Amino acid sequence: MSAREQILGKMEALEPVNHPGNFKGASVDFDFQASLEVVGARVLTAEELEIQFPGRRRYDKTMDGLSLAEVEVLEIDGEFGVAENGAIWLTEEAMPHRVAPFICQHLVINVSKIVPNMHAAYEELKKPSSSFGLFLAGPSKTADIEQSLVIGAHGARSLTVVIRA
Amino acid sequence: MSSHAEASEKFIADAERTDWHDETLWFVREKRDKASKVLPEWEALREHASQIKDHTLANLGSYLQAFEAKAQANGIHVHWAADAAEHNAIVHQIIAKEGSKVLVKSKSMLTEECHLNDYLANKGIEVIDTDLGERIVQFRNEAPSHIVLPAIHLKREDVGETFHQHLGTPKGNKDPQFLTEAARQHLRGHFLASEVAITGVNFAIAETGEFVVCTNEGNADMGAHLAKVHIACMGIEKIIPKREDLAVFLRLLARSATGQLITTYSSHFHKPREGQEMHIVLLDNGRTRQLADPKYKNSLKCIRCAACFNTCPVYRRSGGHSYHQPVAGPIGSILAPNIDKKANADLPFASTLCGSCSNVCPVKINIHEQLWFWRQDLMAAGLAPVGKTIGMKLMAFTLAHPAIYRIGGSLLRRFSGMLNTRLNPWYKQREMPVAPKKSFQEWYKKR
Repeated sequence: MSAREQILGKMEALEPVNHPGNFKGASVDFDFQASLEVVGARVLTAEELEIQFPGRRRYDKTMDGLSLAEVEVLEIDGEFGVAENGAIWLTEEAMPHRVAPFICQHLVINVSKIVPNMHAAYEELKKPSSSFGLFLAGPSKTADIEQSLVIGAHGARSLTVVIRA
Repeated sequence: MSSHAEASEKFIADAERTDWHDETLWFVREKRDKASKVLPEWEALREHASQIKDHTLANLGSYLQAFEAKAQANGIHVHWAADAAEHNAIVHQIIAKEGSKVLVKSKSMLTEECHLNDYLANKGIEVIDTDLGERIVQFRNEAPSHIVLPAIHLKREDVGETFHQHLGTPKGNKDPQFLTEAARQHLRGHFLASEVAITGVNFAIAETGEFVVCTNEGNADMGAHLAKVHIACMGIEKIIPKREDLAVFLRLLARSATGQLITTYSSHFHKPREGQEMHIVLLDNGRTRQLADPKYKNSLKCIRCAACFNTCPVYRRSGGHSYHQPVAGPIGSILAPNIDKKANADLPFASTLCGSCSNVCPVKINIHEQLWFWRQDLMAAGLAPVGKTIGMKLMAFTLAHPAIYRIGGSLLRRFSGMLNTRLNPWYKQREMPVAPKKSFQEWYKKR
């Protein structure tokens, strides 16, 4: 008997328990910009971005994974932001390569649509999904050394967000 | 192998360090409290998550099959492993086919449970743990002491010394920023070179066949997106029914674990990258046994946040290594005896049964009750600590025989020093109370 048969065979029907359905009553009064700051992201206007990162690379589908390792500042577009936690949903289609938002040294994301919380976020994601997507909230970070927060672990060292109208 | 009591006795011998460890973990608990109190719906979220998990476990077989079908349709290879040995063999086979001798792995408690690193080392394959905390303990040849904060038992001086030895950082440098940068450069090389990446799985969605990996560092993604072969290792209990259920769990997970709003990265792997091979290994290793036992079934709801560790007074003051197996703390104490009853019989007794763990658990596992159930099961199996077993039997006998109770009582009152002996386990680190001159019965008769 294969492991699959073994494992499934041990799962007799237990007492039925209903799925509680969609969560209702979630808070909606969050400030996206405030949440971005909490997770360590910086917010700039489009003009300020030009001054700060004039040499940035825009998303370019021809870039391969390893060459992206040399990119200092990469700019990509996010699908929407989540006000509750400053997370931005990114899809594979918006990046040169899946590793892009991790491997560049500094990341810039443009976002225009904001939803209040994660429940609203997954309402947006009911449409056929991308082969790869992620919620990205701020620059990479760790507190593994004596609980001391260090920004810039293995992923991007900084995140700059431009909220476009 | 030391029991929890023996190991923690050594740990608390350094009182100052124990206080530091205690305060550090409690600080993490306080961050969790702050993050949870911001949401008026926190308790409703916990209840909702608990119900989703209850429902999933009641239908685990069909959800696993639905997941498998969808994942396979998306081009992911799905493997099933009945136990740790089978899991390790499957992972090894995939790696051997590709031919790599060095590979990167992000945090996966399941691979710790299976001792995968050692297994692969014996086959001549080196695994580089890329989570910073895990890399630190890997250099030190230690086990992680916490499932979310693997190096929480170490001070920055310890990390500085370890990096000096293994990465050539300047001796005496203990600046976390500097040390993290050194680790970044060191591991970046491995990410760029590795053809195989192993990750864990935080959640797998039956509805879509996708799986989600949550990190703060980005190490799971740095490995997986550059590798030709991505192997994801998952316990069968990590399944959840629908995509929209993720909203509930992603709102609870980071807040419970570290007090963060969400982990920096919550990556949803739906299909392999073009040209990439993606594998997922579904592991049982005793989970079906727990599923079939109504006393312990709830332990399978665990989302590995470690909120229970951070609040547990025993964990805080004994450290993860006292639990002598990969998952420490309260949840570890109810999971480990299922894997090996004899080796882990001491763990359910390493508790005051205060219930704080159950109070903070985001999915409402009744951890403190299961600790108690385990004590009864272990007692019945003859695996409880010998001293306690004998003591309990003597007490039960005495309380059941009124004459002996009266005689015993008067002897104790006359020679109360009798109990101040090493043979009395309750005497260790406690002062026995001063006995009254008369028993209640004697006083009542003469009143």
